[in-house]
Amino acid sequence: MDEPTATFSFWGLTFNWTTVISTLLTMVIVTLIAVGLTRKLSVRPNKGQNAMEYMLDFTTGIIGGQLPRKMARQFGLFAFTLFFFLIVSNELGLFLQVKMSSGVTYLKSPTAEPVVAMTLGLMSLVIAHGMGVKSLGFGGYLNNMLLKPYAWMLPLNIIEQLANFLTLSLRLFGNIFAGEMLLNLIAENLAWPGHFNGFVTILALPLEMVWQGFSLFIGGIQAYVFVILTGVFIAQLSGNE
Amino acid sequence: MLGTTLLAATQLELGDMLFVIVAFLLLMVILWRVAYKPLMKVLDQRADKISGDLDGAETARKEAEDLSQQRQAELTKTRQESSQVIQQAKASAQKQGQDLLDAANERATAIDKQAESDAGKLKADALAQAKDDVADLSVAIAAKLMKKELSADDQRSLINAYIAELDQK
Repeated sequence: MDEPTATFSFWGLTFNWTTVISTLLTMVIVTLIAVGLTRKLSVRPNKGQNAMEYMLDFTTGIIGGQLPRKMARQFGLFAFTLFFFLIVSNELGLFLQVKMSSGVTYLKSPTAEPVVAMTLGLMSLVIAHGMGVKSLGFGGYLNNMLLKPYAWMLPLNIIEQLANFLTLSLRLFGNIFAGEMLLNLIAENLAWPGHFNGFVTILALPLEMVWQGFSLFIGGIQAYVFVILTGVFIAQLSGNE
Repeated sequence: MLGTTLLAATQLELGDMLFVIVAFLLLMVILWRVAYKPLMKVLDQRADKISGDLDGAETARKEAEDLSQQRQAELTKTRQESSQVIQQAKASAQKQGQDLLDAANERATAIDKQAESDAGKLKADALAQAKDDVADLSVAIAAKLMKKELSADDQRSLINAYIAELDQK
């Protein structure tokens, strides 16, 4: 967290180069995959289309398990984009990180940045609360959110809503950040602490590989959990538990 | 760490947040255009096609069943008709044979009768001829014997009377 960052200003706003570059690269990768796999669509699917259809089916299934059919179809695109973006950004930093000699990391997993994870969490919760207001009315939404199942649980419910935001965002950020941090620690302190480290360098390679594999798994799980929790919050707040 | 994270979020990262949101929305639009809409279309098409194929198969099965029933019925009908035809042919052949037989019988009877009547007539003729001849012969004999000229008619009536007597005996 106390690493140096490179920022630039535009329209009076401050942007972090790491976030901008990582997010843009993730977008490009997602777009390329999507375009590449859906080039020739037909009723009888080919390999790429099958993979894409499986993923669409998967995200629709996640949301469909939480929400009634009609609402689930409404959120199909959101869940699809969210999962696709998250899984690519979670895995991005595992094999591609760019750190300059100034100590600034220009490229890593966007979700290893707290601001990205929190923005995504905020977005999911804004959508969930918006759906709550839309489907229950403002009074019904407040009542459903704060006074259920018992009115005396009001303070607990307020804390729960705040906690929802933090747990949703920080779970994602923490898992990805920790995974990449350990990768970096192995790489910088064991494998190449400025010089060849003899036996330790050779030992560090399988260790790094094992941790990369595990992080790959964690990244997939976190993307899945994020989407499923988004579905749960939408269902909770619009009274469809 | 949580504290610094929250602090950082409140202090300077509004630009980053906006950037992430805009990027995400843009990505959503791109994916909608590139993948989601066409995929949904194809999936719907496939669902339609499958349900259409199922309906078509059901219709085809029913049609085949109908056709097979129709064929069975026609086969039975044809069989009945053919056996009827055979029976009719048999009956007509029998009748024709009977007719022929009857005609032949009739003909034979007629020929028989004809022959019988012919024979009777011949016999009568021959008898009459014989009578005449006997009469002439008797006259001639009598004329020669008696040297007496007797009228032929008288002689004939006399002989007829004798022969009638003979017949009655």
